[in-house]
Amino acid sequence: MSTHETEVVRGIRSDYEYGWADSEQDYFFKSSRGLSHELIDAISDHKSEPDWMRQFRHKSLDYFLARPMPSWGADLSGIDFDNIYYYIKPTEKQASSWEELPSEIKDTWDKLGIPEAEKKYLAGVGAQYESEVVYHKLQADLEAKGVIFLDMDSALREHEDLVKQHMGTIIPQNDNKFAALNSAVWSGGSFIYVPPGVRVEMPLQAYFRINAENMGQFERTLIIVDEDAYVHYVEGCFCAGSTVRVRDGEKPIEEVAVGDEVLTHEGRFRRVRDTMSRRFEGPIFRIAFAGESYRSLAVTPRHPFLVATRKRARDHNTTFEPEWKEAWELRMGDYLAVPASIDLEGEAPSHWGDDVLVGSGARTAVAERVEVALTPGMCRVMGLYVAEGSVSANTSYLSFDSATHEQHLRDLVTDVLDESFGLEPWLHSYDGRAGRSLRYSSVRAARFFEQTFGRTTDELRVPDWLFGLGATERAAFVRGLYDGEGSYDSVLNLHRINQTNREVAQRLRELLLSLGIRASLSRTDRPAPRRPMWQLAICEADNPLFEKLVLDYWSVAPGPRKADVVLADGYLWMPIRSIEKVQANCTVYNLSVEEDESYVCEGVVSHNCTAPIYSSDSLHSAVVEIIVKKGGRHRYTTIQNWSNNVYNLVTKRAVAYENATMEWVDGNLGSKVTMKYPAIWLMGEGAHGEVLSIAFGGKGQHQDAGGKVVHVAPRTTSVITSKSISKDGGRAGYRGLLEVAKGAVGSKSKVVCDALILDDESRSDTYPYIQVDENDVDLGHEATVSKIGEEQLFYLMSRGLSEAEASAMIVSGFVEPITKELPLEYAVEMNRLIQLQMEGSVG
Amino acid sequence: MHPSKGALTHMALLEIKNLHVALEDGPEIVKGVDLAVDLNEKHAIMGPNGSGKSTLAYALMGHPAYEITEGQILLDGEDVTELGADERAQRGLFLAFQYPHAIPGVTVTSFLRSAINAIRKARAGEDDPIPIPEFRTALLAAMEDLKVPRELASRYLNDGFSGGEKKRVEILQMALLKPRIAVLDETDSGLDIDALRIVANGVNALVGPETGALVITHYQRILNYVTPDFVHVFVDGRIVAEGGPELAHRLEAEGYEAFTPATVGGDA
Repeated sequence: MSTHETEVVRGIRSDYEYGWADSEQDYFFKSSRGLSHELIDAISDHKSEPDWMRQFRHKSLDYFLARPMPSWGADLSGIDFDNIYYYIKPTEKQASSWEELPSEIKDTWDKLGIPEAEKKYLAGVGAQYESEVVYHKLQADLEAKGVIFLDMDSALREHEDLVKQHMGTIIPQNDNKFAALNSAVWSGGSFIYVPPGVRVEMPLQAYFRINAENMGQFERTLIIVDEDAYVHYVEGCFCAGSTVRVRDGEKPIEEVAVGDEVLTHEGRFRRVRDTMSRRFEGPIFRIAFAGESYRSLAVTPRHPFLVATRKRARDHNTTFEPEWKEAWELRMGDYLAVPASIDLEGEAPSHWGDDVLVGSGARTAVAERVEVALTPGMCRVMGLYVAEGSVSANTSYLSFDSATHEQHLRDLVTDVLDESFGLEPWLHSYDGRAGRSLRYSSVRAARFFEQTFGRTTDELRVPDWLFGLGATERAAFVRGLYDGEGSYDSVLNLHRINQTNREVAQRLRELLLSLGIRASLSRTDRPAPRRPMWQLAICEADNPLFEKLVLDYWSVAPGPRKADVVLADGYLWMPIRSIEKVQANCTVYNLSVEEDESYVCEGVVSHNCTAPIYSSDSLHSAVVEIIVKKGGRHRYTTIQNWSNNVYNLVTKRAVAYENATMEWVDGNLGSKVTMKYPAIWLMGEGAHGEVLSIAFGGKGQHQDAGGKVVHVAPRTTSVITSKSISKDGGRAGYRGLLEVAKGAVGSKSKVVCDALILDDESRSDTYPYIQVDENDVDLGHEATVSKIGEEQLFYLMSRGLSEAEASAMIVSGFVEPITKELPLEYAVEMNRLIQLQMEGSVG
Repeated sequence: MHPSKGALTHMALLEIKNLHVALEDGPEIVKGVDLAVDLNEKHAIMGPNGSGKSTLAYALMGHPAYEITEGQILLDGEDVTELGADERAQRGLFLAFQYPHAIPGVTVTSFLRSAINAIRKARAGEDDPIPIPEFRTALLAAMEDLKVPRELASRYLNDGFSGGEKKRVEILQMALLKPRIAVLDETDSGLDIDALRIVANGVNALVGPETGALVITHYQRILNYVTPDFVHVFVDGRIVAEGGPELAHRLEAEGYEAFTPATVGGDA
């Protein structure tokens, strides 16, 4: 009889689609950051723990403080122990039935694709929800068999004797620095006891995650499989209509597609890697802010924004320290941000060209390259076109309207179009209307302007290559728009630009910002059928800059009024005017964006709420202790895909007694640093241990994985199989210890470690330590290091697979000895994760 | 640019024009080959060991280590000389390897489905996976035809396969991927007579209005089962003689010595 468990740890990066981006959570208890004996008391008090546990925690903290950081293995210098929340308890009360479980957790299991039938048979379901298991269920038949499956806190209350007897016996609290840390601040985790002879066929599951920024997970797992028992254990936004700033315009978030380029908090465009949506029922925050008074954000409470906190309610900030904060943490007066300029990363056009179809009517249209030099004059004419230009419906004529007295504008247009297109206009006067129109009869010019900037009011657009131009040219473009649609109110000392196209007004605001000029945007509704008017008002404080850069005259001193919005550190900071919490039942959306994981939505920077926030790193430091008694069998499977800012430092150890079998299946794909060496002590004659380990080290990752087996009793057997893959400069390796103690006669062990290196920058390390104090043993060790062979790739590509597909196939095959041991849906998940890791990495 | 519809000369599906191939920074191995293979045609290239036959095959498929120093490969009028192996395969070119590579951990079935789906995706411009029942039916039928044992389908591709098993699985791939031009590089070598017959039947079944084949071989043996429409004798990187099936018999009788470049008027 045996035990079998699988732990699936899913990284935040891939979590959202499983519904992890929950939001309606109000924290019930959140400790302050950093470690202290006061914190220990606070945790113990909060959990109403027995005194021995309190002392256990205090003593562990002393051990933790006294121990140095490990000097071997991976680089851990990035961990800031003072900047971590050690304890967060999300909800007050534990759910005790499926119905009471929050719907988002139920949804998660649905989205994971666990079939209804399997759910029904799931022996129990524990969810590690932030630091606390909020729910577990034990099916009646298991309960009848005497199986205990509880969260660790409940176990401590209900089975204090069992916990006290076993906790820390396999992994002493002073075993290593991180085991000591876990022993001091542990929270949540699972306790399983399987009585003698009981067989549990279906997997027990719990899903782990790190949710809040900077919050470590310190779960504690203790599993006791009594004699001849068997168990399988599996550990386990925005509302529609919000507009996202994409390349050359804006789009409702629900229409954003994978591959679209969006503006990120770095002020550059990055491609959308994934789009996500889900049903949401709960509170939504509506947030209005200065600078763009017509907008209002509608977001779920847990969606993060780039924020500078208002230091004191009555003060205006003088310094802006950006940090990511979730919507529920925002307060009136805090500043939301938008990048002050857009970096096109080297795209600096001096010319703009486009293929236009020339020829109409009886003549066949021919594509012709039309290219113009982007002189300040041309840029101003382009701005003027957006304001006052038009193209006839048959695209035969290009016209620029102007007031009668604006002869200087007509001269400008005439000169520029003569120079660039070699065209001569004629002057047109409208019947019964004031003003003059310059007209050009040129399909080339008309279509060029139409294709570049649009024709009708709805279509008008300001393309993003303008942001690659020099300041003079950008200012000239704004000048052209101001020529057409600007006005100055001398009483208020206010420059205004009126636009009927919202996006044009938005781009204009961004262009002004890129020149260091702040402007606010507001909406004025007008009686139908007239369209609403978008009014851009230059901040009075920035009038001198606007007048100098754009209007080209020196101004008197700045106006007396203080601006609400502040330009600092590359961002425009806009104070929050109001926050309203409303109940909603709608579909919400989120985006995953390459590299930056942020996007400008409704005019402010927000973060992909499923992705790690890089302002600081998180720490996951768990302890798993397992005891497999005589004849018992246990398998513990972990597929972890922590987000790439997590230090994953886990101590896992099992003891196996006479004829017992213990198997660790350990897959490590995510995290910044993983140090994890699942260990098995073979204490009884005939015990068998297996460690199957996969480590996948991608860009910026270091997976220091492996395994450890100690043969203490005679005729014990073990197999360690390690597969490490490294790519894009990542490091993945095997660090293993095989020890055969004196007296473990007739023991057999086989260690196989294979490394696959995908490119020249990546690295694989193998540290196979072997210590044998007994002669009568049979040991085997094989190690291979290979690169993906050109011949293998060519063979697969000759069948139509792309290089990335071929590489992913070779990697999947490489780890197949381990994936075949996984339950089907996790094997599928594992392969999907590998494909994700491989995409775009080859070539 | 595509040739105009009204062009007078017929263009074969595969056209090789003055092809020169060298190993990267190495000597020239293929020294100017002109060859046209059309649908419904069986061509044989026969040549001695070391004449550059396999190099020609690799270069046709786009092996990155073989550099085309001069000349062109046209597939259906399109110049594919600069395309990668995957893009050539997606356009209907197939190479049966002399020494197929093992892909441990990837079963024959899952590999075949991925390859079929890759080609379908390229043709449809989006994911267009073959329905599993359809795939299974096609796979089982092809395995039956080619006498490939069922258990091979769930083994890892070419991993621990015997020479004969590898060759049969190459033909199995060819049958399922349905190429427009199939190039077989020494597929007959190392096969016993039964296997040879099966492989030959696979080629015969494939060639028709949708497919043409180029069989590269050292021996005349396979040509007893695959009757070529055209035979090209390949010596020292060049085609030195061309003719119908009778040429293969002459080769068998006289040996390649009769066709060395010197004897056929070359000045090598």
